[in-house]
Amino acid sequence: MNTQSALDIANSPIMWIACGIAVAVVIVQAVLFAVKAYKSGEKVGLTKKQMNKAMKSSAITSIGPSVVVLSGMLSLLITVGGPIAWMRLSMIGSVMFESIAAGIGTNTVGVTLGTDTLTNEALGMAVWTMVLCSIGWVIFATFSATRMDKVQTKLSGGDAAKLISISTAAVIGVFSAMSAQHLVSLNKNSIACVLGGLIMFVMLQVSEKVKALKEWNLTISILLAMIITALLPF
Amino acid sequence: MNEKKFFEEEYMPKMNRIGKITGALGVVLAFLPALALAVVYGILPQPAALLTAFIAGASSFGVLWFVEPISYFSVLGPVGTYMAFLSGNISNMRVPCASMAQVSAEVEPGTEQGSVIATIGMAVSIVINVSVLTVGVILGSSILAMLPAEITAALNYLLPALFGALLVQFGIKSKSHTLCILVFAVLINIGLKGGIFNWLPGASNYLGILTSVFLSIAVAIATYNKKNKEKA
Repeated sequence: MNTQSALDIANSPIMWIACGIAVAVVIVQAVLFAVKAYKSGEKVGLTKKQMNKAMKSSAITSIGPSVVVLSGMLSLLITVGGPIAWMRLSMIGSVMFESIAAGIGTNTVGVTLGTDTLTNEALGMAVWTMVLCSIGWVIFATFSATRMDKVQTKLSGGDAAKLISISTAAVIGVFSAMSAQHLVSLNKNSIACVLGGLIMFVMLQVSEKVKALKEWNLTISILLAMIITALLPF
Repeated sequence: MNEKKFFEEEYMPKMNRIGKITGALGVVLAFLPALALAVVYGILPQPAALLTAFIAGASSFGVLWFVEPISYFSVLGPVGTYMAFLSGNISNMRVPCASMAQVSAEVEPGTEQGSVIATIGMAVSIVINVSVLTVGVILGSSILAMLPAEITAALNYLLPALFGALLVQFGIKSKSHTLCILVFAVLINIGLKGGIFNWLPGASNYLGILTSVFLSIAVAIATYNKKNKEKA
């Protein structure tokens, strides 16, 4: 039972296949939903042009955060092997949660993740703990979605305009909370958050005049804010 | 209204069915790597150790299993909820992508069109997310070594910048509302940082999103009702 063997097992073809099937479900679900949504779009009054624009804008928006998740995966990859890191961040994943869950699993059998050598026993614990602790989200979300929808419809009293207000307010709530987390950290993250907001404010004014810029507003704001923050001398 | 009828009676039931089947399948297949370890390599944790770890995990994350789907529901809608929780990376990718897709298609969240556009946007983000991870895992840690230190450092600032920019993008239309919610969220987060919510179960960070979302919704409903009364 040396390190080599546990990590060899974690990186074996069988683990690639097992993890690959799990990741495939995520992709299959996304494709099924997207195809059905795209086909139905025109029936709910959308144009092909709108839907294509949406795809393009989402693709542009995804790239930055995907790279951040990738850099998180690379640290997990060293500790629990490629296939599991890849699967866990493609499915029900979040970098913070996965590392903590894996750590809880291995700690229980006396192995500190990233410091001690990974034993077979610790590998098993890490994988089982990550899976058991993550399926709660999917189970609750999947089987309460229609019920929550009913509650929300009731809350809006079937008033379409009210439902728009509720959803818009929820979006503002999410981004306020996420920004606030970084603002109170009082470090360079706070500066990046403020800069992102300020540059976006400017971009919104500019893109009113130069329409072609519109879909690049977010990318430009993020990139500039990142670069300026990184270049700050402290 | 024909569009509404199609959406409610044909589209949504089908989407709900796809969501429930693939969600259940996802839960079962998530165990494959664990089963592969057990069947092929005979690695099976001691039930007692696993139970200890599960309890430790559940007491830190268990509340999130319920609080997060509820907090994000009004943003994601039913279809978005199926997708976001199976794929993960919700606040940092699914919500921004769905919202930006709605902005560029010029549709409102909470409408039929908004729901369809968000679904398309999220699906695209999932495919890109998984593709980037797949390329990354194949190239392995060698690509991390390839990146200059300046870039890896700058990456840390991507998410804060993203959230700040998105807050302005969506908040600019209702400035005073957004400012109120932001001030509230900052206060809650100062409280969280100061540890005054430590008596709550689990990692109490979820409190920030939960309370901000529901306060924002409550304020919006109150404002909306007031406006309608004035009109009437």
